[in-house]
Amino acid sequence: MFFVNFLTWLHDTGFSTTLRESTWAEPIIETVHVLTLTLFLGFAVLLDLRLLGVCLRRRPASEVLAQLNPWLGGSFAVMLASGTLLFCGDPVAFYTTIFLKAKMILLALAGLNVAVFQATVGRKLREWDTAARTPRGAQVAAMVSLLLWVLIVAAGRAIAYALPPP
Amino acid sequence: MSLGKLLLSFCQWASHSSFGHGVRDSVWLFPCIEICHLLALGLLGGTILIVNLRLFGLRFRSEPVAELARDVRPWMIGSLGTMLVSGFFLFSSEAVKMYGNPAFRSKMIFLALAVAYTFTIHRKVTMSAETDASPLGRKLAALVSLLLWAGVGLSGRIIGYV
Repeated sequence: MFFVNFLTWLHDTGFSTTLRESTWAEPIIETVHVLTLTLFLGFAVLLDLRLLGVCLRRRPASEVLAQLNPWLGGSFAVMLASGTLLFCGDPVAFYTTIFLKAKMILLALAGLNVAVFQATVGRKLREWDTAARTPRGAQVAAMVSLLLWVLIVAAGRAIAYALPPP
Repeated sequence: MSLGKLLLSFCQWASHSSFGHGVRDSVWLFPCIEICHLLALGLLGGTILIVNLRLFGLRFRSEPVAELARDVRPWMIGSLGTMLVSGFFLFSSEAVKMYGNPAFRSKMIFLALAVAYTFTIHRKVTMSAETDASPLGRKLAALVSLLLWAGVGLSGRIIGYV
C-alpha cells in the first residue's frame, strides 16, 4: 500500500506533472532511451559474442572487457536515467502494467548474471584470457545475458503497447 | 511515369501484398517484428560505434582499425540485413501512409546515403593501412558515418510522431 501511495504522491508532484504535460519531454526522453540502445545493447552483445568466442577473438577477453566496460557503464547510466524519467512522467499507469514489473525483474536477473560471472569464471579470467575456446561458464553467462536482453527489449516494447500515449 | 508515381505504386503493391495484409491484420506480428528491428538496431549500432570510436582513437587503440572492422563486419552486415528485412515488413503494413510521411522519406534518404557511404568511403578508410589515412581524415570519416546513421535513427524515431 505504501508503494502505491508513494507512486500517487510522485504522480502529483510538479516534476511529474511537468513531464506528463510537456509536448516535448516524452518524445525526447524516449528517443534518448531508444537510441542509447545502440551503445548499451550493442556493446553488451559484442561482449557476449566475445565470451562465446565468435567475435573479437584475436583480442584477450580481459582487454575487450576493459575497453567496453566504461562505455557500457556510461550508456547504462543514460538508459537508467532516461527510463526513470519516463516512469516518473506517469508512475501510477506504468505500475499497472505487468510488462514493467517483468522488465524490472529481468533487469535484476541480468545484474545477478553479471555478479555470478564476476564471482566465478570471471575471477579466473587470466587462465583463459587468450584461450582459443572460452570456458563453458563464460559461454553460459553470455547466453543467459543475450536471452535476458532480448526479453528486456521485448518487455520494454510491450510497455509502450500496453500504455499507448494519450 | 514520374519517380513519385513509381514510388507510390511500389507502396501500393507492398500494402496490398499478402505480407502487407498479414502484418496489418495480425495483433502480434507488428510488435514481434518491431522487437527484432530494435534488437538488430542495438547490434548494428554497436558495430558501427565501435569502429568509429576506434577511428576517433577513443577505444581499442592497440588494435589495428582494419582488424577490428573485419572482426565486426559479419555482425554488422547480419544486423543490417535483419533491420532491412524487418523494416520492410513493418513498412509494408502501412506503406501508403508511409509514402506521404516526411520523416519516413528522410529516413530512406539517410539510409541510402549511410549504406552507400559505409560500403565505399568508410570501408576504404577502415581497410586502408594505418599509415595511409591521416588521423584527421579518419576522424572525419567516423564523424560523417555517425551523422548519417544518426539521421537514420532520428528520422525513424520521428515517423511515429508526424
